[in-house]
Amino acid sequence: MVRKSKYEGATCLDPRAALLLLLLVTVVVFAQQSLYLEFALVTVLVGLFLCCGLFKNGLIFMLGFGFLLVLQYYIFPIAPQIFADFFAILTSYARKVFPCIMVGMLIVKTIPMRYLILAMRKWHFPQKLIIPLSVTLCYFPVIREEIGHIRDAMKLRKVSGAAKAEAILVPLIFSAANTAEELGAAAVTRGIENPAPKTSVIELRFRLRDYICIAVGLIFVLAVFWLKRGAI
Amino acid sequence: MSTTEVVTSRKLKGKDLITIGIFSAIYFVINFIFMLAAALHPIMWILMPGFIALFTGVPYMILASKVQKAGAVLIMGLISGLIYYATGMFTVVILITFASACVLAELIRLATKYKSFTGNSISFAIFSVGMIGSPLPMWLFKESFFEQISVQTGQGGIISGNYLSILSGLATDGMLFVLILAPVVLGVIGALIAKALFKKHFVKAGIV
Repeated sequence: MVRKSKYEGATCLDPRAALLLLLLVTVVVFAQQSLYLEFALVTVLVGLFLCCGLFKNGLIFMLGFGFLLVLQYYIFPIAPQIFADFFAILTSYARKVFPCIMVGMLIVKTIPMRYLILAMRKWHFPQKLIIPLSVTLCYFPVIREEIGHIRDAMKLRKVSGAAKAEAILVPLIFSAANTAEELGAAAVTRGIENPAPKTSVIELRFRLRDYICIAVGLIFVLAVFWLKRGAI
Repeated sequence: MSTTEVVTSRKLKGKDLITIGIFSAIYFVINFIFMLAAALHPIMWILMPGFIALFTGVPYMILASKVQKAGAVLIMGLISGLIYYATGMFTVVILITFASACVLAELIRLATKYKSFTGNSISFAIFSVGMIGSPLPMWLFKESFFEQISVQTGQGGIISGNYLSILSGLATDGMLFVLILAPVVLGVIGALIAKALFKKHFVKAGIV
C-alpha cells in the first residue's frame, strides 16, 4: 500500500504473470535437485527484484541465501552434533522453499491487493473464495500488530504457561470478531453482495516483461525435467 | 449482535465470507507456527497434527458457531491449502488428506445441523486429522521416502544422519497409531478448551 503512488498506473509485473510465475517456481522447487539450478533460480529472482526497484529486499534475500548455504556447507559439518540436529531440517527446508518465498515477497511488495483481486476475477475464481482469501491475506499484518500490542500490555504483569496462551488468544479472537462485524457491515454497505459483475477502473495488460518472466519460468521448468531425465 | 438477525438462508453472505477470512488467518498463523516447530525434532513432526488440533480449537469452534452455514470449513481449508501451496509447503499426500478431512468435517456439520456442540467437536476432530498428511509419506512410501531424503543428505550433508536415523526409528506402526490418534484426542480436548473459554469470555461479551 505504501508503494501505491509509485506504481499508480500499472504494477511492476502484471498480477496474473506474477501468480503464474509463482506456480512455475513452485513446480521447479518441488522437482529440482541440482544445486546449480537452485543457484541460477535465486540469481534470476534477485535480478527480478532489482528490476522492480526492490534493491533492499533483493540484497537481503541474496545475503540470506548465502547465509543458508554457508550454514549448511561450512558450519554444520564442524558444529556440535546437537546444534546441527536442531537446525539442519529447518535450514534445508528454508533453502528448499526460498525461491517461493522470494516470489511471494515480490507479490506482497509490488502488487496491491486490488490488482490481485482483479486478477483472480479475470480467472473466474468464485467470488466466495476471492473475498475470504483477500481478507485472510490482509489480516496477517493485523494479527502481528495485535499480538505486539497484547505482549506490550502483558509486560506489566506476570503471566506464564497456559494462562499466557489464553491471554494472547482471547483478546486476539475478540478483536477478530469485532473486525469481522465492522468490516462486514462496511462491505455490505459498499455493495459486496451485489450479484452484478464487478467493474474496475484498473485495466490489466500483459506487457513484454510479463511474457519474458513467464518464458524464463518455463525455461526453468523444462531445464528441471531435462536434467531429471538425464539423471535417470 | 448476531442473535438479533434471523438466519433465513443457508447461503454464505458478505459478512460470513469476511468472518471466514479473518478466522482463517488466525487458524493459519497457529498452524504455521507448529509447522515450523515440526522442523526442530522428528517427534515434533509426528505430534504436529495433535498440537495444531489443541490450539486451533478456539478459532475453529468460534467460526463454526458464528457461521452456521455450509461451506465455512471448506473455504477455510481451501484458503490454508492455497497459501501453503503458494509458499511451496504442500505435498500431494497432505493435499489429499486435508481435502478429504475438510469435506468430511463439512458433511458432519451438515448432518448435525451446524448448531450442536458435539457435532462441531466431531467435525473439528476430523478436520484436525487432515494434517497427518505431512508426516504420512514416511509410512506410505517408506523406502523411497528415506531414499529421497538420503539423496539430499548426500548433497553436502543437508540433513544430518542422526536426524535421519531418529526419523526412521520412529516410522513404526505404533507411531502411526499415535500420529492418527493424537489429533482426534487433542482435537476433542481443544474443543473442550474452546467450550470453557466460550463460557468464561465469549458468551458474556456476546461474541457467540
